[in-house]
Amino acid sequence: MIATLKKHAFKAYKKSAIRKHELNYLFWECTTKCNLNCLHCGSDCAKDSAFEDMPIEDFLKAVDTIQNIPKNFTVVFTGGEPLIRNDIEICGRELRKRGFKWSLVTNGHLYNKQRHISLLNAGIGALTISFDGLQESHNWLRNNTHSFTTVLKAIELATSSNRINFDVVTCVNQKNFAELEQIKQLLISKNVKAWRLFTIIPIGRAVNNPDLHITDAQFLALMEFIKINRKTKEIDMKFSCEGYVGRYELDVRDSNFFCRAGINIGSVLIDGSISACPNIDRAFSQGNIYTHNFYEIWHNKFQAFRNREWTKIGQCKSCKDYDDCQGNGFHNWHGEHTNVLVCHNEKIENAIKHQKR
Amino acid sequence: MKKNVCRKIIGGLSLTSAMFVFQACYGTPQDFGLDLLVEGQVKAKASGLPIQGIKVSVAGNVQYEITDENGKFSFYTEMLEDLTLKFQDVDSTQNGLFHDKDTLLTERSDKIYLDITLDEK
Repeated sequence: MIATLKKHAFKAYKKSAIRKHELNYLFWECTTKCNLNCLHCGSDCAKDSAFEDMPIEDFLKAVDTIQNIPKNFTVVFTGGEPLIRNDIEICGRELRKRGFKWSLVTNGHLYNKQRHISLLNAGIGALTISFDGLQESHNWLRNNTHSFTTVLKAIELATSSNRINFDVVTCVNQKNFAELEQIKQLLISKNVKAWRLFTIIPIGRAVNNPDLHITDAQFLALMEFIKINRKTKEIDMKFSCEGYVGRYELDVRDSNFFCRAGINIGSVLIDGSISACPNIDRAFSQGNIYTHNFYEIWHNKFQAFRNREWTKIGQCKSCKDYDDCQGNGFHNWHGEHTNVLVCHNEKIENAIKHQKR
Repeated sequence: MKKNVCRKIIGGLSLTSAMFVFQACYGTPQDFGLDLLVEGQVKAKASGLPIQGIKVSVAGNVQYEITDENGKFSFYTEMLEDLTLKFQDVDSTQNGLFHDKDTLLTERSDKIYLDITLDEK
């Protein structure tokens, strides 16, 4: 009874948030240059040195078109590796002057003490560092023999500040799957308070590497791992919002699945394209800051994000969970857009069926 | 306004207040922390001239900034009950020699401007 009520209330909330279409969270893909050569490059972020970094002034011009800015509007610097740019702090201060918050996603390699201080001085408020396993497995994915040691130092720095709302993200894959408990213990010993786990979507270089993908049974075990650990509260562990997880919704994260790409989340990409999360198929770009007014595009376009009925094709067409899932995370629609790339719920249900046999 | 209230009531009913505190899959958490902007200028007491190269730091914190050629500094730091700023001459005789000074900030605001004077040694 309560569960049904909650579900209906959430649906009503979701409808209202879609209608309101409030821009709360803006990614800036400020560079596509990177100091690493990760095996899964192109899945959650991309490396492409062909693009020049976008000048700060161009980005701020786009930001300055935004009207009725919500109180907690945040700009998230992403890449490539954003810390490759040495003017992040200048842009951060400009954003704070305008009353906005800002944060950063980094691989941690350039996050040393000096940079930690200069970012704090410039008013950073949140930070995410990628950490993908114990020494061997982390270095394997990051394709760098020093990465583990370097990133651990960055994590220690980040946790030393009370000011930064900090979390660690881990791409779960074949190499680190058996280490999750040890990774958790390591993060706790480094005073990490929040840990987000996600799987690698088969796009970019991640498509053809079977070691990057976990099986259905492993995915189910991952859900159980998160569910159990959320009860112990040793660390704020959650599954990322990458996909709908059916019976595990609310067991593995704080809120029901709601892909907010293009609903509350926008982006300015390296070439000026206006879109939502940077890992979304670039064919969904809605305009360009060099030819359009950013806020007019945000306000008047993004129909494919706000109305996802078009995702009711392929295996989603007859899915009984469609109303709750609505085509899974938007970044799961690449290429021809005729079927969802990954159905997390299907993985879970397949694994359960297999267990019962 | 009315719509916002409705949205919050519905959100509350679904017992997922965290829905307002979302983060993108590959993004960062949101920032709900409090900080303040500390700005100011450091001058020599006797001459009234700005001093470059003074280290302005937060006691008990790694943060610091060095004053520029106009004696100016500006940085954000965590909002705390007791916030002490330290002013130290760390460049030896370059730019003159000055006594250190500590200043306890008692005012609680999101932006503070300080005019600091240092005594010559």
